[in-house]
Amino acid sequence: MNGTQRFRKLAAGVAIATALAGYAHAEVTVLGWPGGPEETALRAAAQAYNALPDTAADEQVSLLFFNRDGFFDKLQADMAAGTDAFDANLLATYSIGRYAPFMEPIELDPGAADVFGDTVLETMQFEGEQYGVPLDLSAHFMYYRTDLIDALLEDESAHARYSAIAEEYLGQAMAPKHPDDWTWDDYVVTSLYFTQAVNRDSPVRYGTVLQMQNLLFNMMVFHSYPRAYGADWMDADGTITVDSDAYRLPLERYKMLLDAGATPRDSLSYEFPEANAAYNSGQVAVMLQWNGAAGELMDPDNAMHAENVAVVAPPAGPEGRFTHIHGLGLGLNENARNPEGARKFLEWLSTEDAAVIYARNSGAPGLTGNALARVADDRPDLVQLGEFASSYGFVMNGGTSASALSVYEAQAQAFTGYWAGTQTLDEALRNVERAMADLLE
Amino acid sequence: MNTRIGSQYENPILAAPMIVFLLLLLGFPSLLNIIYSFSAVGFSNIRTPEFQGLQNYQAVFNDPMFWQATRFSLKFATLTALAECGLGLFLAIFLSPLLRQRPWLLAILMMPMMVAPAMMGLMYRLVLHEFVGPLPHYLFKWFGDSPAFLSASNVFTTVFVIETLQWTPFVLLLCYMAYNAINPEIKEAATVDGARPHQLLWYIELPLILPTVAVAFFIRFIDGFRIFDNIFVLTGAGAGGSTTSLSIYIYQTFFRAGDIGKALAASVVLFVVSFLVLFIAIRVLRRGKR
Repeated sequence: MNGTQRFRKLAAGVAIATALAGYAHAEVTVLGWPGGPEETALRAAAQAYNALPDTAADEQVSLLFFNRDGFFDKLQADMAAGTDAFDANLLATYSIGRYAPFMEPIELDPGAADVFGDTVLETMQFEGEQYGVPLDLSAHFMYYRTDLIDALLEDESAHARYSAIAEEYLGQAMAPKHPDDWTWDDYVVTSLYFTQAVNRDSPVRYGTVLQMQNLLFNMMVFHSYPRAYGADWMDADGTITVDSDAYRLPLERYKMLLDAGATPRDSLSYEFPEANAAYNSGQVAVMLQWNGAAGELMDPDNAMHAENVAVVAPPAGPEGRFTHIHGLGLGLNENARNPEGARKFLEWLSTEDAAVIYARNSGAPGLTGNALARVADDRPDLVQLGEFASSYGFVMNGGTSASALSVYEAQAQAFTGYWAGTQTLDEALRNVERAMADLLE
Repeated sequence: MNTRIGSQYENPILAAPMIVFLLLLLGFPSLLNIIYSFSAVGFSNIRTPEFQGLQNYQAVFNDPMFWQATRFSLKFATLTALAECGLGLFLAIFLSPLLRQRPWLLAILMMPMMVAPAMMGLMYRLVLHEFVGPLPHYLFKWFGDSPAFLSASNVFTTVFVIETLQWTPFVLLLCYMAYNAINPEIKEAATVDGARPHQLLWYIELPLILPTVAVAFFIRFIDGFRIFDNIFVLTGAGAGGSTTSLSIYIYQTFFRAGDIGKALAASVVLFVVSFLVLFIAIRVLRRGKR
C-alpha cells in the first residue's frame, strides 16, 4: 500500500467516524435507573415516544444504563467532570441540590400539576426551579399481618396483656386498635405485644423489624416517625432544630424496641432486603417499609402469609400523619449534546399519556386525578401511593439542598451510634446538629 | 565503543515503558491527589481548586471519626495479621506431611482466597442473616437461639473471623513453601545430634521460616489496614461508625460528604502510614538477613 492509498483509507475512516459521531449527537441519550421496574417502565415510555409521528429522527431517545451500585456516586463524578455522554439523567429528591450546578431547569407540560399534584412535583424542585420530571415515587407503608391484628382485636382476653405491656413500657394503659387508627404509641405497644421476648404467647418471634443500619435511606424510613411529632431539619430562619423532643422521643422508642427484643438483634445491620427477608419469614407482625416492597411482601409465591399482609399509611402523631417521600426523576444535563431534543422528551414525559404508559409498565409514579383513574384498575397499589403521598407526603426543610445526602449520612452515623449504645442521646443530637450546621450553613 | 554506548543505554531503554506506565497510571494521580489535598475542592469546583495550605489535614486530624477509623483499622489489621500468621504457620507445619503426599489439597485450601472480598461480604450477609442464613437457622434449630452476629457487640469479632478465614490460606501458602525449602540435611544433622521434634521446630525450623512469616505479617497488616470491600458490603460503616475503616472513611468523605480535599488529605495520611510500615518491614528483613 503506497502513501496515497494509506492517506485515502485514513481519510475515509475519519469520515465514517465523524458521521457516526454526528449520528450519536442527533439522538437524545437518557441515563436511567438500571434494572428493576424503573428500567422496564422507562424503556416502554421511550419506545412510545420514539413511535410518535412528530418525533423527528434527531429526537429519537436512546437509553443508557449502568450498574446500580454506587450509581449516584458515579453520576456525581461524571457530571462534575462535565460529561456529555448523556443528555438527560436520573436524579433523586435528596440529590437535586448536589447535581443542580451541573444541570439546567426544565419546563414541564402545562397539565403536569394535574397529573402528579404539587407535592410530587416539589420532589423534583430546587430553589424554586423544576429540575426534573417526577417518575418513580417512594413513600412508606405500614405493613401488618391482618390475621394477627384481627385475632388481637377480637380476643378480649388478650387486651389485658396488651394494656399491661403498654403500662410497663409507656406508662399508660392502652387498648388495641386497627392499624389505620394507630398513633405511634399504638405501633410501639403492638410491636412489643407480638414480641416473644416480651410476651411469651406471641405467635411470632418479633413484633416489628427496624432498619437500623448506618445508611442514609434508613434515616428516611425513620423520619416519618419524628415528623408526626413536628420534627424538621431547620426552622424558617435556617436554625437547625434536630435537638428537639420531636426527635428525642422517636429515637428513644427505637432504642427501646431494639433493647426489648421487639426487632431482630441484628437490626443494626438491616436495610431494605434484610427487613423484607425477616418479614417474609412470617416471624414479624408489623413493619414500616418502602412502598416498593409491596410487590414482594404481598406476593403469595414469594412470602409466607402474603395473603394476610395489608398496608396502611404510617401512624399518626400529635402533629398528624406523615410519610417521607422522595422521587426519582429525569432532568437535563447542562452539557447535553442535544438539549432541545432532551427538553422535548422531558416535557412529553410529564404529560398524562406518558405517565399512564409509565405506570402501566411497572413504574411507580405518584399520580392524581384523571391519570390515576386511568391506571387504577391495573395498578391498585398506585392509588394508595398517590393518596398517601398527596395526603401525608413531606420533604424535610433542606431535604433537597446540595448537602441533603450528607445530612442523612450524619444523622445515620449519630443515631445508629445511639441505638448501638456507643453514644448517648445528647451526644448523638449534638453531633448531628454540629454536622448539619456545617453542611447547611 | 558503540557496544559500550549501547550497553550504557540498554537498561534505561528497557525500563522506560515501565517507568512511563507507572508515571502515567500511578504518578500523575498521586501528584494530583497531593495537590488536591492542599486545596479547597468539592464536586462543584473540581476543575478550579483553591490552594488553602494545611486546612484539610487540620480538618482530618480534628475529626473524631478519623481517629475512630484509624483505631479500627489498626486494631483490625494487627489482630487479623497476627491470627492469620499464627494459624497459617500452624497449618503449614501441621499439614505439611499431608500436603506433600496430596499436593492437590493445597488448591482446595487456597479457594477462599480466590473469592472477591466484596463477594465474601455479600455471601456472609446472607449466611449470617437470622431468617435466611443457614448458620442461624441450624443454631435456632439445635439450640433454640443464635447469636446476633452483626449486632453492635459482635460485629468486630464477625468481620475479624471472616477476614481471617479468607486470608489465612495466603499465609499458609507462603509458610508451606518456606517450610519445604528448608534444607533437609540441616534437619537430619540436628536429629543425629539428638534434637527432639519440638527442639527441631523451635531452634531450627521456626528461625528459618521467620523471615517469611514477617513478610506475610506485613503484607497482611497493610491489606488489613486498608480494608474496604467485604466490610463495606457486610455492615457498611457500622452502627455509629463502629466498622468504619480508614478506607471507608475516605470513601464516605469523598463521595457522600463531597469533601474531596479532606478525603484526599486522609488518603495521603493512609499512604504515608502504609509506606512507613513497608519501609520498616524492609529494614527488619534486611537486618534479619545480615
